[in-house]
Amino acid sequence: MADPLVEFDGVEKYFGDVHVLKDVDLAIEERDVVVVIGPSGSGKSTLLRCVNRLEEIRDGDIRLDGRSVLETDVNEIRQQVGMVFQSFNLFPHKSALGNVSLAPQKIRGIPEAVADDRARELLERVGLGDQTDSYPDALSGGQQQRVAIARALAMDPKVMLFDEVTSALDPELVGEVLDVIEDLAADGMTMVLVTHEMGFAREVGDRIVLMADGRIVEVSETEAFFERPETERGRQFLSRLL
Amino acid sequence: MATQTDPESGTGGVMMRDRLVKRIGEIAAGGFLLAIGGLLVWILSTQVNYTLLTSTLIARRFAEAFLLVLRIVVISSLLSVSFGVLVGLGRISTSNVTGRIAKGYVEFFRGTPLLFQLFVIYFGIPRLWATGQFPIQDWAVPAAVIGLTLNHAAYVGEAIRGGISAVPDGQMEAARSLGMSRVMALREVVLPQAWRNALAAIGNDQIILVKDTSLLTVIAVPEIMSVFRNINSNQLDPWTPLVWVCLLYLAITMSMSQLVNGLERRSDWGSDNSMLGRLSRGTSGGDTEGGDR
Ligand SMILES: Nc1ncnc2c1ncn2[C@@H]1O[C@H](COP(=O)(O)OP(=O)(O)OP(=O)(O)O)[C@@H](O)[C@H]1O
Ligand SMILES: [Mg+2]
Repeated sequence: MADPLVEFDGVEKYFGDVHVLKDVDLAIEERDVVVVIGPSGSGKSTLLRCVNRLEEIRDGDIRLDGRSVLETDVNEIRQQVGMVFQSFNLFPHKSALGNVSLAPQKIRGIPEAVADDRARELLERVGLGDQTDSYPDALSGGQQQRVAIARALAMDPKVMLFDEVTSALDPELVGEVLDVIEDLAADGMTMVLVTHEMGFAREVGDRIVLMADGRIVEVSETEAFFERPETERGRQFLSRLL
Repeated sequence: MATQTDPESGTGGVMMRDRLVKRIGEIAAGGFLLAIGGLLVWILSTQVNYTLLTSTLIARRFAEAFLLVLRIVVISSLLSVSFGVLVGLGRISTSNVTGRIAKGYVEFFRGTPLLFQLFVIYFGIPRLWATGQFPIQDWAVPAAVIGLTLNHAAYVGEAIRGGISAVPDGQMEAARSLGMSRVMALREVVLPQAWRNALAAIGNDQIILVKDTSLLTVIAVPEIMSVFRNINSNQLDPWTPLVWVCLLYLAITMSMSQLVNGLERRSDWGSDNSMLGRLSRGTSGGDTEGGDR
C-alpha cells in the first residue's frame, strides 16, 4: 500500500514545560477529509500548525508524501500545505486577485498575466468571480475567507488545513464558506479541518479525530462516531453537544 | 461619553451642548485669526521695505542660499529615508547583534543634539588626519549632508519600526504559510503596510529636517539664516529679510507636505478606518456610534 499523504508518528510537542501534543499517531490518506474535534485547549490548532512547521515538534516525526517535514526545507513544505486561518489574514494592500496571485508570482516566478488568469479561475471557483478587483476592506467576512481559501489553493497544495475558519463569521455568512469546503471535498482535495460545526463535520468528514488533553482519544468513521462512539470520551463529548 | 448617561440631560441637552462647544471653538479660532492677521497686515504695511525686498541684490543672495538648502534637503532626505528603512529593519532583526547595533545607533543619534553631531563631523573628523592632509576641500556641505542623514535616519528608523510592529502578526504568518521566506514576506507583505503606517511620522520628521538646515550656519554652510544674519548685521531693518526667510522655508516644507499627502493617497488601498479619517469625513458622531469599535 502507498504511504499515507500525511502521517504523524509519535509526535510530542511542548510549549516551554507545557506538554501540548502527547504521542500523536495519525495517518491521512489522499482524498481523505479528516475533521478534528475536541474541547478548547486540547491541541487541535497545534496539531495543524505542526504539519507546516508553524510550530516545531520536540519528538517524533511528521511525514508529507513519505518525506519527513523536519528534514525538508520549511518553505518547500509550506508550498505543499495550504492553510486557512480563523481570522482570514488577507493582505490589505492587495486586491482579491492580488492576494491570490501574489505567492505563485513571487515564489514560483510565474508571469503576472498567467498567475492572474489562474487567480481569476480560483476566485470564480469560490464564487467571487465578480469581486476580483475588490480590496479586503470592501469584502464581507465570508467573502474574505473565500478569498483566503482561493489564495491557499493557488499554490496547488497537496493538503489543505482549515483551523476554525467559520468561527469569526456572522452566522449568516458561515454557509457560503462551508459550501466552498464541501465543493473541495467533492473534488477530492485532501483536507484536515478543525471545526465546532458538528452538523458540517458529519456532512463533509470521512473520519472524525477526537482530541482531549493533547492526545488523540478516538479516530472513527464519521457516521460510526456520531451513531455509537467507541470511547467513553467520545460519548461524553457528544452528550455535551446535545 | 460619561456625561451622556447623566439623567438630567437627555439627547436634546447633549445636542445643545455639542453645538455650544462648536460655536465657542469657532469664535476662539476666528478671534485668533483676526488678531494674527491684523498684526501681520500691520507689519507688512509699516515695517517692510518693498523696494529692498524686491531688489536684485537681496534676491540673488537668498536665491543662492535657497538652492543650496534645497540641494542639501533633497539629498539628505533621500539618504535618511533609505538608511532609516535599514535602521528600522535592523531594529526588528531576528539577529541579536544587528538588533542591538540598530538600537545603539538610534539611542546615540536621537540622544545627542544635532548641533553636537555636526561639530563632531565638521570639526572632529578632519582632525583624524595629520594637519592639512584631510582630502576634502569644501567639507561643510558634505558634513552637513552626513550629519542630517545620520540624525534623521534614527527618527525614520523608529517610525519604520513602529509601522512594522503595527502590522498584525497574522500577516507574516499568512505569508510564511504560503511558503514565502521571511525576507520575501517582509518585502511583499509587511513592509508595504508598515510604510503606510509610518508615512505620517516620516513626513513629520522630514519637515523637521528642512528646518534643521538652519543650524548649518554654525558649520559655515551659507544657508538661508546666515544670509539673514549678514543682511541684518546693521540691525536696522529685520522685517524685510525675515519675509524672505519665512517664504523660502515655507516653500520647501509645504512642497514636502504635498509630497507626503500624495504618497499617503497612493497607498490608501482600503477604506480609512482611522479615527482621524472618520472625523474628517464627519461620519463619526462620537456620541451616536460610540461603541462600534
Ligand atoms: N504559542 C503558545 N505558547 C504557549 N502555549 C500555547 C501556545 N499556543 C497554544 N498553547 C497552549 O497549548 C494548548 C493547546 O492549544 P491549541 O491552541 O492547540 O488548542 P485548541 O484545541 O486549538 O483550542 P481552541 O479550541 O480553543 O482553539 C493550550 O493549553 C494552549 O494554552
Ligand atoms: Mg484552536
